[in-house]
Amino acid sequence: MSDYAVSLLVRIGVEAFVALSAYLLLVIGRISFGQQAFFVIGGYAAGIATALYGAPLAVGIMVGAVAAGVAGALLSAVMAPAGGIYFAAGSLAFGELVRVALLSFHYQVPVGADLTGPAGADGFRGIRALFTGGMSVTTYMLAVSGLLAVTSVVIVLLLSSRWGEAMRMVGEDETASASLGVRVRRVAALTMAGAGALAGLGGGLFVHYVTYIEPGHSDVMLGVHSLAYAFIGGLGTPLGPIIGVALDIGLLESFRFLAGYRMIVFGGLVMGLLVVRPRGLLDEVAVHRLSRLVAWGRR
Amino acid sequence: MVDFLQALVDGVMLGATYSLLGLGFTLIFGVLRRLNLAFGPTILVGIYAGSHVGLAWPGALWAVVAATVVAAILCGIYVERCSFRALARQAPVVSMISTFAVWMQLQELVSLFEASRTMPYPSPAWLPALTVGPILLRSDALLMWSGATAIMLALFVLLYRTRFGTAVRAVADSSEAATLMGVNVSVIGAAAFLLASTVGGLAGVLIAQSQQQVTPYFGLWATVKGLTAMLLGGAGSLPGAVAGGVILGVVETQTLWHFGGQWRDLASFALLFLVVALSPRARSEPTL
Repeated sequence: MSDYAVSLLVRIGVEAFVALSAYLLLVIGRISFGQQAFFVIGGYAAGIATALYGAPLAVGIMVGAVAAGVAGALLSAVMAPAGGIYFAAGSLAFGELVRVALLSFHYQVPVGADLTGPAGADGFRGIRALFTGGMSVTTYMLAVSGLLAVTSVVIVLLLSSRWGEAMRMVGEDETASASLGVRVRRVAALTMAGAGALAGLGGGLFVHYVTYIEPGHSDVMLGVHSLAYAFIGGLGTPLGPIIGVALDIGLLESFRFLAGYRMIVFGGLVMGLLVVRPRGLLDEVAVHRLSRLVAWGRR
Repeated sequence: MVDFLQALVDGVMLGATYSLLGLGFTLIFGVLRRLNLAFGPTILVGIYAGSHVGLAWPGALWAVVAATVVAAILCGIYVERCSFRALARQAPVVSMISTFAVWMQLQELVSLFEASRTMPYPSPAWLPALTVGPILLRSDALLMWSGATAIMLALFVLLYRTRFGTAVRAVADSSEAATLMGVNVSVIGAAAFLLASTVGGLAGVLIAQSQQQVTPYFGLWATVKGLTAMLLGGAGSLPGAVAGGVILGVVETQTLWHFGGQWRDLASFALLFLVVALSPRARSEPTL
């Protein structure tokens, strides 16, 4: 497989984690413009774990996910009661606060001959655990894909469990679900923690592939894109956001000949798609029809 | 003390343009109950159009203003058609995602026509600066404040003293009740959108003549400032948006003056975050 194809697939995998995290929040009816913050928190934490303290790659990536999950849980203490446009704006503000805070985050320790670690606006370079560990990029790409597949299955199982039922109830109507005994605050807090961990996982996978991260990676555009992916691919299943990412990156790459007009064409396609299929390609109706088709095939 | 007063005056003048952006946001959000993320980028296109006209005909300031406002209005009509009218029966969030797609288009449209990343924007250089006691009033800031105040007064007369304004506020209050009173809600929605684009274009002129340049980041910047001003004043309230803009402007200039440039954005985002964390309205606003 060519390096180009591998890098494209890693990018799709990494962004799919951020898209899934925005999707989880959509299930509980929250629109987030701030998932990029957790992506960056996860990236920094994972990088610090491996590059500064010599943790193995897998441990470092887990550290990143846990750090972002904890950040999500902490944020939920403030944001869980907020709904609608307020949640959207608060998450946007949080994303930018994290970016500005990282601009003055210096934490460098000597590793070998030189200093390594986050250096404010200059970012955090030299996160080489993937390459010093001797893993090939193709293996890494397969690992990212495998992790994404496992995550999707876990989310599908979660959403079809009682927990998923509670999450959807919160998304539909908080007052009604509270009156039926759903602990709205707890569901929102745990979902925000889980969504944070997913984005953080994406961040940890990202830094080890590109070997550096900077405050600018907490970009509002990443957050809004990851939200839009669910609406492109479909809100019916966790597959939707992943399809959205693959379509976005795949189409943008295949539109190279349109140099300079890519976003105009792509934006137009998304606008048209939203008119025809407002809940994305794989919406609830399509998922239902497909599952009936599968059930009919089994008979 | 003089520093504090100077920063306060600067903040009020800067804040007046934030109020305009907040009013544009409020007009659309209040009437349609939908968020228009492409509001900033439509103004961006307007300013770029004005900048190009300014380069082609140096000195023709009226042409620059006209080009800016007309381009912003045309983009506003495009957004209204594609993201609001075509999706009127869908959930509000679908419109919001659609405006984001328009944003990507407008951003690239700008980059197609730009010569460099930063474009110059003409300003009326003949205006003198005023000094009142120890306080300096920069001419561009003064123009920004007086222009924004005049536009706001005109807007409030239109919204609170005419039949059309009553209809707009009726739809914002309750579109069902307004329909029952014989108001054509979809016409009022489109008119409010047009009005918001005009206000946005004029705000763009005032901001760009003060900064004397424009970069493609202006779209994101204007959207964030407008959204913050609207939310600070309580989403949907017109006087609130004015107050929110001024508060945002004052907080920014005070931080800039006392702590330095790098804290300015931090302060404005911290303010937005605090509003979400503390506002009781945040807890009772499930719509989007």
